[in-house]
Amino acid sequence: MKSLYIMGAPGSGKTVVALGLAQKMKQEGYQVGYFKPVAANDRKLIGRQDQDAMLMKEVLDLKAPLEKIAPVTANPFYLSAQATMKDARRMIKEAYDEVSEGVDILLVDGALSIDILSSLSIDCISLAKEIGAMALLVLKVENDYSLDNAIFLNKHLLLEGIRVTGAVFSNVPRPLYAKTDGVYRPIMEKAGYKILGTFPTRPEIAAPTVGEYHDILGGEILSSPDRLNLLVEDVVIGAMTISSALTYLRRAANKAVILGGDRADMALAALETSTSVLILTGGLYPDVKVIARAEEMGVPIILVHYDTYTTIERLSQVSRHIHPSDKESVQVALENIEKYCDWRYVLNSLQEG
Amino acid sequence: MAELTALFRPQSVAVVGASKQPGKIGNAVMKNILASGYRGAVYPINPKESEILGVTCHPSVSAVPANIDMAVLSVPAAQVLAVARECGEKKVKALTIITAGFKEIGKEGLDLEKKLLLLCSQYDMRMLGPNCVGLMDTHTPINASFAATFLSKGEIAFLSQSGAILLAILDWSETAELGFSKVVSLGNKADLSEIDFIEDAANDPYTRVILCYIEDIVDGPRFIEVAGRAAKKKPVIVFKSGVSQAGAQAASSHTGALAGSDLAYDTAFEQCGVIRAHSMTELFDLAVAFSKSAIPAGDRVAVVTNSGGPGIIATDNIEMLGLQMARFEKNTIEELRANLPQEAGIYNPVDVLGDAGVDRYEFALQKVMEDSNVDSVLVLVCPTAVTQPVEVSHTILRARDAYPGKPVFAAYTGGQSLAKGAGLLSGAGVPCFTFPEPAIVCLKGLNSYGQYLNARAVADERVLAGVDQKTVKAVFYDATRDHRLILLGSEAAEAANAYGIPTAPIVLATTPEEAVEAADKMGYPVVLKASSPKILHKTDVGGVIVGINSAAEVQKAFIEIMESVHRYLPKVVIYGIEVQKMKEPGTELIIGMTRDLQFGPLIAFGLGGIYVNLLKDVAFRLASDLKNAKKIEEMISETKAYTLLKGYRGEAPKDMAAVIDVIRRTALFVTDFPEITEMDINPLFAYKKGVSAVDVKITIS
Repeated sequence: MKSLYIMGAPGSGKTVVALGLAQKMKQEGYQVGYFKPVAANDRKLIGRQDQDAMLMKEVLDLKAPLEKIAPVTANPFYLSAQATMKDARRMIKEAYDEVSEGVDILLVDGALSIDILSSLSIDCISLAKEIGAMALLVLKVENDYSLDNAIFLNKHLLLEGIRVTGAVFSNVPRPLYAKTDGVYRPIMEKAGYKILGTFPTRPEIAAPTVGEYHDILGGEILSSPDRLNLLVEDVVIGAMTISSALTYLRRAANKAVILGGDRADMALAALETSTSVLILTGGLYPDVKVIARAEEMGVPIILVHYDTYTTIERLSQVSRHIHPSDKESVQVALENIEKYCDWRYVLNSLQEG
Repeated sequence: MAELTALFRPQSVAVVGASKQPGKIGNAVMKNILASGYRGAVYPINPKESEILGVTCHPSVSAVPANIDMAVLSVPAAQVLAVARECGEKKVKALTIITAGFKEIGKEGLDLEKKLLLLCSQYDMRMLGPNCVGLMDTHTPINASFAATFLSKGEIAFLSQSGAILLAILDWSETAELGFSKVVSLGNKADLSEIDFIEDAANDPYTRVILCYIEDIVDGPRFIEVAGRAAKKKPVIVFKSGVSQAGAQAASSHTGALAGSDLAYDTAFEQCGVIRAHSMTELFDLAVAFSKSAIPAGDRVAVVTNSGGPGIIATDNIEMLGLQMARFEKNTIEELRANLPQEAGIYNPVDVLGDAGVDRYEFALQKVMEDSNVDSVLVLVCPTAVTQPVEVSHTILRARDAYPGKPVFAAYTGGQSLAKGAGLLSGAGVPCFTFPEPAIVCLKGLNSYGQYLNARAVADERVLAGVDQKTVKAVFYDATRDHRLILLGSEAAEAANAYGIPTAPIVLATTPEEAVEAADKMGYPVVLKASSPKILHKTDVGGVIVGINSAAEVQKAFIEIMESVHRYLPKVVIYGIEVQKMKEPGTELIIGMTRDLQFGPLIAFGLGGIYVNLLKDVAFRLASDLKNAKKIEEMISETKAYTLLKGYRGEAPKDMAAVIDVIRRTALFVTDFPEITEMDINPLFAYKKGVSAVDVKITIS
């Protein structure tokens, strides 16, 4: 049995890489397992269930129960919960034994970031060492500092004696794609680090859905409840004058528009442009005609009872998760691996190790 | 239109939901039809009654033993579909649906309305309403409405999107002694709209003037086409509300549709010869003027007054509305001088003085009417001790009859002492107002309409050679694939260039080396600009550096811009830096386009540069109106930029033909590619020879 530990920064897209690799390895005839030793206590939890674990359990048809696939949850104040955390190491160990049984390759999904739970020595690096896993780094690209981060992590893992199969630049914005591939990659390779692939941003798997906005914002859904799967790629605040509204609203595609419920004209203008959801703030119910028009256009309206500022604050918490039922996204994750990632190299290096 | 005959001149009418009970709509409609003197067959439908108002009642539409042309429905909304289907089976030709509870109440109502519309088209029935007051035709006659009164016969067709306004006007028209040929309450306009009724009224021999009150227009291009044709036959006067920002918001809430820019309405109305009224008073003043008066041959107005003040007020208004104070022929002036008192005003306005009796009015009026430099005459009367209002009125009427081609209007500024004279004029078909201003508004309306009638058909020269649609498609495809709606500067320039719009060379560079290479190739000086759809105003974030003269400066500017943009907008990832050949400054112009929701591409032209919003020197046209160079030059000539282009204060004139060509190509470009929602060329530099588009912005959908 081989383990591949997928680790990286928050929001880098570890799960999407795991999801793609798992499918590919399965296609190649391997029994693939999935293990998330430390789940973060964020919105990925539905009740006490980790969403990533649920997703992988279903996609890979795993026998192990969810509480074994994701045995430990660490919240930002985990030291206050000493009672539960003191057993964490043991729980992880037991769970590991169970999920690794009968599998050829175990994909281990890292915690929110590499260093979490270092104080208990069950951070990504410690665990990888302990179970003798090979590491795969998933990295975000924002600017040249991202390159430094990539080199630093590679270096550190090697110093810790962990074998690294390579790194993936994930979710790379279009404008940075050429630079990532043309500048960062050669520098990394020259330094002796393997780059497995560069994934361009794909809104299909990166953009949150209207449903995910609703999960965070709460509030009432006033129209098109059957269209919560629409993707939200941009956010526009409807605070301009109506005469310039169309010009602004036309600039963004598949957007969420935040506005007061009394602005019928603004709402109608938004509905004339590419809009995925209208978020009405201040608890002001819109005119029935606005609701009718939104129904007609198939655009959900979310009515929240707090103000625009609070709404925008909360929006920063919204992120995308792939649901098992979302076949298209599951497929995109696989395509990403097939198209942009040197997955054969990953398999080969696992065999060698 | 034959299909509307069933509405206005039906052989037989069924009233579904007819009632015996006074106060019910079904009762009012029955009463109105019977009282209007309708000569066709009437079939009240109500399963619970055997007769209503003495007419045999039938349990259902299908039970009527004869054909039905029109059915008026006033049954509850839930029953409308079933009744409409029955009507369809019965081969009823048209429905007037008074019942409310459709689009105006929200989603369920909208669905119901859609089903109803589908049903009508399946059975080939036309529909008025739903949610309307009904219709009337005084010549058939028929009153298929629940209005409290019927109309006097007349020559005005009145279409109203507001039922309440319609009812109010009907009531008021009695006191105003205004007659109508037909009146239609448009309701929700699910099927038939003002467009259909304008088309019908244009062909109606009993209608001379078409009057509309509307809050929105559903199909802008069709409105322009139909109203434009109608206006060639008879005047179409429209009062559209929702002009102010708050008003537009109210209209949006009321109609459930985005109002669209008022500017576009104005532009569209002008294009298709529709006279726009700006108030209810104006709407009916214009209606009276158009139904009673001739159309003047030109814009030269003569004013005859017995007092200085009103004369000056009238003169101000004439000029402010863009009409001309007529300049009399020498002969007229000499005659006036010879025959009027010395202190009288003999130039325009002609002041016959406060002590004038009817003789002076008669003489002055006679002289200005026969003057060939006068196209219309406004007579002002103020009450003095010697004023003879009734006699003056007779004089005016004689003058009107002697010169039927020249409209005469009057303003009798006073009260009781002038009432008899004023009444005499109104009764005999000379529009008479209390104050001069509305008279002049009407003269202006008549004159605009006259100009529209006289305008020759313009040759359509929009098809152009040298356009490359493939390149444009490729550019748009790239942006769409990249999930962008805003083109990068270099892309926009490439697309515009493919349509023959001369642009300054521009290249997108992702590294300083690429930038240097591009700059070397196009030659110095160059401009460097940050390229990102997320940055609205590049100069605000240090995203533009001009006047770069060497490779070393390019390197330095590249890094400077990257750093500056990152400092201001740390989250924005820029696509690179655009290197553009720096053009020598010319006259800065702007050509803009915004796609109006109702009317399509609206083109703006004016003085460009950074002062656009300050100077607001802009003229607007719908792209569909810019058919040839003459039309475009007309548009340019409305701006101050025109004076600059012609050569201001000794400056050499600029290349007008090239400017016209860019406007024409822009209009064609945005028409050929409906996915372009916004476009701006600002600035466009105009030179003695040629032009150059320095910055092109394009948003697609």
